[in-house]
Amino acid sequence: MPELLPEDKKRITPKRPRDFVCWAVALAIVGGLVYTTVTNENYQWPVVFSYFTTESILDGLVLTMILTVVSMVLGTLLGLLLAVMRMSHQAPISGLARLYVTFFRGTPVLVQLIFWFNIAALYPNISIGIPFTDVSTPVDVNALMTPLTAAIVGLTLNQAAYMAEIIRGGFASVGRGQYEAADSLGMRGFTRLRHVIIPQTMPAVIPATGNQVIGMLKETSLVSVLGVAELLNSTQSIYARTYQTIPLLIVASLWYLIMTMALSVPQSVIERRFSRSTRRPAAATTAVEPAAGRPVSTTRESLL
Amino acid sequence: MKADGTIVARKLCKSFGSHQVLRGIDLSVSAGEISCIIGPSGSGKSTLLRCINGLETIDRGVLRVNGEDFGYVERERAYHAVRPQVLAEQRARIGMVFQQFNLFPNMTAEGNVMSGPVLVKKVDRKVARDRARELLAQVGLDGCGHKYPAQLSGGQQQRVAIARALAMEPSIMLFDEPTSALDPELVGEVLAVMRDLAHNGMTMVVVTHEMGFARDVADEVLFMDGGVAVERGDAREVLANPREGRTREFLERVL
Repeated sequence: MPELLPEDKKRITPKRPRDFVCWAVALAIVGGLVYTTVTNENYQWPVVFSYFTTESILDGLVLTMILTVVSMVLGTLLGLLLAVMRMSHQAPISGLARLYVTFFRGTPVLVQLIFWFNIAALYPNISIGIPFTDVSTPVDVNALMTPLTAAIVGLTLNQAAYMAEIIRGGFASVGRGQYEAADSLGMRGFTRLRHVIIPQTMPAVIPATGNQVIGMLKETSLVSVLGVAELLNSTQSIYARTYQTIPLLIVASLWYLIMTMALSVPQSVIERRFSRSTRRPAAATTAVEPAAGRPVSTTRESLL
Repeated sequence: MKADGTIVARKLCKSFGSHQVLRGIDLSVSAGEISCIIGPSGSGKSTLLRCINGLETIDRGVLRVNGEDFGYVERERAYHAVRPQVLAEQRARIGMVFQQFNLFPNMTAEGNVMSGPVLVKKVDRKVARDRARELLAQVGLDGCGHKYPAQLSGGQQQRVAIARALAMEPSIMLFDEPTSALDPELVGEVLAVMRDLAHNGMTMVVVTHEMGFARDVADEVLFMDGGVAVERGDAREVLANPREGRTREFLERVL
């Protein structure tokens, strides 16, 4: 065996007791949890599996998804409008947006939901029409505000306030120079916003919006108090009959978990796509290939 | 539409709060003339340039660009601000190149150059793309059209910015310290493009610290300090034999 030179010897960091202790503690906790979930019969795993794909549960699942998508889309559009209003130089416009955000972020969404459901107590009849004309249609608010409408209105209006703040943060991340460059080309308000500013807010807005979608998915469970048959409400109506509360709550939890995990995949993809134009490829930072075409003088002697 | 490539400013005044940045500046640039504005930082030279295309409003004084009052119309006893639409049209005839390039990072080099013609002038995309390629070739960036600003060096970015401004077919080009943010070895390529423009008869106002460029290319040099024009005159004359003490002092420090 040839002699190993000192400069060729490997450097080793020996494992220390704390490395093993950490593993032991973590394994003990997980092991204990697994043991109790398997052996404690009160979990009633057979009941969980039997209800996991019951029709009413799946219907509730679909409604949860619809509520999430609808509230998220409408909330984002309204949030964008609020964010643009907030940036306005007209004090009354930005003030209105600020008032909205303060109000809807300052009160619990559960209270807001119940409030919208009972809005008919405040305004029993409204009429939609063109001012100063006879054209108008009376609307019975009580009939209009079904639990589902109240749920969508409540979630959307609340979401808009949070999205407005996220989008405003995105606007703040775009430098003044970008506005000036657009101005100097003669671009005007909407064109500038649509083609120059909004695309640049995306790297800041997209990840935060992803979190909002996941939050919204879970927040939809609140509308179960209005009797909307979404996922949680569907499980509740089953255990109200069978008293199998825990296994059915596990069914709901597992579905929520599956959906949030599924959502985190597209989020990371979108995040990567939007960072493309701003990310600087490692190679480009140091070695920039000389431009083809007409050679350009790069010495300063001739100029000085 | 008149666009004769002239700038006339008389007694321009501009304050930020209580700080008076411009104290009655006169400037006159005729068509095809190259005017360099030099001076220490804080002397108001960038502000003067930014007033010429309306990035800053003016408090008092006359500003006529391309043969018409810029940003305001004279009515009876006051100047009234024009509507945003009119201001945008006036701006579109003036090209501006910024110290920090200010390329749109969400667009490719070609997209940047096309953005003005397509979004403002509503030029057909195909026509605009062909023109963008020509302009990129003109600034020595053949084949870089598909790259994003972040993939280009500072000098290349600034040349794209010049091409972007040229795409609007301006009658005047304004340069706000176009080489100050560049590594020294990249300054030459940008100045070369600017010399080219000058030779082709573009009216240019250049705020710069590049005295060599000012001496070789400029027709007139304006030395500003403390918001006033201290000295103006033939570029070689002012740079070689300054009459004013403050000009001499400044030139001794920078050369």
